[in-house]
Amino acid sequence: MTAVLDAPAPARPPLRRVRARWAWGLGTVVVVGWSLAGAGLFSGDVLNPAGRVQFGRFAGAALSPALDPAFLQVLAASVLVTVAYAVLGATLAVLLGALGAVLVARTTWGRRRLGWTLARGLLAVPRGLHEAVWGLLLVNVLGLDPWVGVLAIGLPYGAVTAKVFADLLDEVPRASHDALLAAGAGRVPAVLYGLLPPASGGLLSYSFYRLECAVRSAVVLGLIGAGGLGYQLSLSFSSLRWEQVWSCVYALAALCLLADVGGRAVRRRLAAPHTPGDRLARDRVLTAAVLTTLALVAWSWWYLAITPATLLTDRTRQQLTYVLGAAWPPDTDGDLVRSIGSRAVDTVQMSVIAIAVATAGAVLLAGAAARPAGRTGPGRRLTGALVRIGLLLLRAVPPPVWALVLLFVLLPGVLPGALALGVYTLGVLGRLAAEATEELDPRPRAALAALGAGPAAGWLYGVLPGATGPVLAFALYRWEVAVRDSVLVGLLGAGGLGALLASRVGAFDWAAVTSVLVAMVLLTLAVDLVGARARAALR
Amino acid sequence: MVGPSGAGKSTLLGLVNGAVAPTAGAVQVLGVDPAALRGRALRRLRARVGTVHQHLELVGQLRVVHNVNAGRLGSWPAGRAAWSLLRPQGVPEVLEALDRVGLAERVFDRTDRLSGGQRQRVAVARLLVQQPELVLADEPASALDPALADRVLGQLAGLVATGDRAMVASLHDPALALRHCTRVVGLVAGRVVLDAPAAELTVADLATFYGAPR
Repeated sequence: MTAVLDAPAPARPPLRRVRARWAWGLGTVVVVGWSLAGAGLFSGDVLNPAGRVQFGRFAGAALSPALDPAFLQVLAASVLVTVAYAVLGATLAVLLGALGAVLVARTTWGRRRLGWTLARGLLAVPRGLHEAVWGLLLVNVLGLDPWVGVLAIGLPYGAVTAKVFADLLDEVPRASHDALLAAGAGRVPAVLYGLLPPASGGLLSYSFYRLECAVRSAVVLGLIGAGGLGYQLSLSFSSLRWEQVWSCVYALAALCLLADVGGRAVRRRLAAPHTPGDRLARDRVLTAAVLTTLALVAWSWWYLAITPATLLTDRTRQQLTYVLGAAWPPDTDGDLVRSIGSRAVDTVQMSVIAIAVATAGAVLLAGAAARPAGRTGPGRRLTGALVRIGLLLLRAVPPPVWALVLLFVLLPGVLPGALALGVYTLGVLGRLAAEATEELDPRPRAALAALGAGPAAGWLYGVLPGATGPVLAFALYRWEVAVRDSVLVGLLGAGGLGALLASRVGAFDWAAVTSVLVAMVLLTLAVDLVGARARAALR
Repeated sequence: MVGPSGAGKSTLLGLVNGAVAPTAGAVQVLGVDPAALRGRALRRLRARVGTVHQHLELVGQLRVVHNVNAGRLGSWPAGRAAWSLLRPQGVPEVLEALDRVGLAERVFDRTDRLSGGQRQRVAVARLLVQQPELVLADEPASALDPALADRVLGQLAGLVATGDRAMVASLHDPALALRHCTRVVGLVAGRVVLDAPAAELTVADLATFYGAPR
């Protein structure tokens, strides 16, 4: 050992920074700064001091929600409507997804890349449009019919589900499937025996996750007039009945929590089912979950009084023919294109600010929101529970409602819309970041504590390096969602492409609507592409 | 320290570095009872005790230099620790430690690019930088091939030989224990059943500890 110590000092290899990452980091800073400038943060007033009183009244009503029997009855009925829409929408999505997955899976296409790429591209169109946009379009074809809500959830969700189902099937190791084919089994039996069993857990789990999301979407559709909890919320809001607004918010939070907890319980059970090995039996909890869902579907069908006949009436066909005829070719008038361009910039800036706010907040709160691994004092546990409840409330309230609340204290423009999206996304991202922290290997951090590192140094060396990757990947994924959601906030008046779409639909200018829709789909595709590139640079 | 799995070797090491709290009795580490210390004083004691497991304590996403520098987090203030993540601090000492384990040219690589044996040596380099008075090694050689295991234990023994230091290691291989240690303690079901200078023992004497049914 001593002989080695006397040797000359070793040469120092150069410290190489990963250039791609630095470029992405610098680019992010520039884009966030540009977005903030675009939202008017550095130029002129953004605060609305006059709204402070109204905001105080709104906040004050949080502790005294409306509880009179008449209103509670109305509330219960609207909760049922929301649940019915969510259940039927999610069911339709899973059915469409199962069919669509066959169309877009690599397994189906094999080496025919062109067909596969075309099928995938086709799915991007329904996926790129927000549920609310679908609702707005469908209401003009079907009129005020419950089908509008069901289809508005089912069509875009169906496209996403098809993509995810196909990916799940394609990710299953192929060895057993290929062995069956080699043994002379047909293609369908080979898939049934070799691919579906290993993928079935993931497929079911994702279906239940979609049901959770559908609850949130049903609320949002209510905000644009489809009925249910969201509709009740917007009614109470516009008549300034703050106590009722808070009752709706609490009902919403409870519903989201129920969907969240139920969905997670089912998904956890799917990962580790309780089945005896000595006889043919199914896991009781899972069987009950599936039967309950089927019963809910039948009940929702009856409760919303849906009939397939509505889709086939002459009036619907005429209206559809008229709208499609008027919508093609798209309007390429110079003014419209310029306006689309500037609104698209607004939409992008809104989503960028939203993600920047949400990511910063999530990083700050992740430590407090994560369930600590070891023993902790009651103070730490209480803080954790409070932060988690706070995050749940943030994500239970749909972004347009946050925008309305923020308009009390901010002047109208891009900023309130962006912050509303940011606050909502913080609710989602905060939970994801906390889960990413919980899933980290605890041993490196324990080792740092054992050699005397303080809490700050332990966090910097033991948690941050491992959590950065997943949290940034989640943030990029949520950015793609935020672009879609910013259209929704725009629909209700916060500017951007959504506002333009609402005004064009209101004027029955279908050719212009087509142009805006094309712009939306292209924007979503572009953001997906940038997000995918950035994630690749992170890896 | 030798003994069948479940004999309490890891628990004993955990008691010494404070990862396990005693349910009865008291522990004296370097003349102090860790259970009686809080905050800064506890951290100061921990900085004097270095632990090495099977390279599981390293952070894969960090560069090697940071994982080695982590040995100094007990003495560095938080600000310096944070700044070092951007501009690595104290690189000459890190390079010297890495050179002793033969990894100087990998100093700025990401740790998860290294093989298991290389990571084990990074963990040893962390100890070399930490310069603890007491080294705790929990089966430090179990993930390594025999030649590498011998080399790693040699490096640990070399560190302990400089200055007034001691090492407590739990080992699976009786030959390693006899070659690198001065004293062998056998544990069975939490009790000391053997305590003798290594020079008086043979591999055959220790075989009973590894063959014991458990």
